[in-house]
Amino acid sequence: MSITQRVQQWATFGRVWHVYDCSYQNPFDSAKVIVKYLKGMQKPIYHPMNDCGDHVVCINTKQIALPGDEWTKRAYFHHTGYPSSATWTLAWELHSKDPMMIMKKAIYRSLGGNLQRRHTMQRLHLFKDDKVPQEVLDNITNQIRQLRPVPQRLDHIDQEVIDNFPKIMDYPEDYLPKAIK
Amino acid sequence: MNHSQFLISGFLRPPFYNGVGRQINQLQRLTIKFCKSHGGSKGMRDFIENHLVNYAKENQSVVVYVKPRRHRSPVIVAEYLNGDRRWMSAQNRNHEEILKWLSLLSLQAGDTEPIRYRKNWHTDCPSIQGPWTPFTHKNPAFNNIAFPDKELGKQLNMPETATEKLLRLVQEQKNTKNE
Repeated sequence: MSITQRVQQWATFGRVWHVYDCSYQNPFDSAKVIVKYLKGMQKPIYHPMNDCGDHVVCINTKQIALPGDEWTKRAYFHHTGYPSSATWTLAWELHSKDPMMIMKKAIYRSLGGNLQRRHTMQRLHLFKDDKVPQEVLDNITNQIRQLRPVPQRLDHIDQEVIDNFPKIMDYPEDYLPKAIK
Repeated sequence: MNHSQFLISGFLRPPFYNGVGRQINQLQRLTIKFCKSHGGSKGMRDFIENHLVNYAKENQSVVVYVKPRRHRSPVIVAEYLNGDRRWMSAQNRNHEEILKWLSLLSLQAGDTEPIRYRKNWHTDCPSIQGPWTPFTHKNPAFNNIAFPDKELGKQLNMPETATEKLLRLVQEQKNTKNE
């Protein structure tokens, strides 16, 4: 193999690092998208026996948004193996203990049963906030688009924008808003 | 596992550039062995009497040897340009059958072993651009972006929100007033 062919081989099978911002995203819908990148299914060279999966860096996993009443209804089961040691932890409880666990379990589950699953999970890097080590950030060359819009908080909008927002009328100077009961 | 039960796999390969400029007949030498007295060689003797001279005239690039031998079965041996040698018995074949076999042998390129084609096409130059890499068709602007980027991560094709619509209507109103 000549040196150009060798470099071509490295280029084709080089692992790409993707970043995904989990803030306000449904972890179960996001997992389906992230799994495709972890397995390398977005590549034209994909084959199940072809080791071409990419790395995915998930940031802001603390900010995930579960649909409906899943925070209080979804239970995570764990059994240590000893008698009467089965536990059912609610999603909000688990999230307060480990803010990365719900995202990790969602991705692990959607990878499907396979001997490669543990190895594929090694290419997933979860961070609870946007504080990512510089050596990880240096590798990233692509970003996965979010699945739903991130709502904007009123206290994050500039005061200038709020003041210039179109209004039908101004409240009188001595106007008292109705007291909240 | 008995590997002799499976076909050898390979690619469709013509002889070295044959037919690109000129066509070279791959059959080079033909040896016909027969007996002058036995009944099994009857068809071969008929073939030599009736068709062989005509065949040799039509295929001038083929060297034809005729070898009589006592009390042995008739045999056709074809030797090809790539070194393949194909032996076949012509025992009890009549002269028409032998002519058909010979025309087949002279059309072949010498691949006597049947192979299983891994692909039904073959090219010496699979791709001019080169194989795909993760950087093929990639926007070069990505080289200068600091990831994670707010705009790049945003969801696409969102319908217009009520706030955006309100701001747009006000802007349109302002524009018409100024005109």
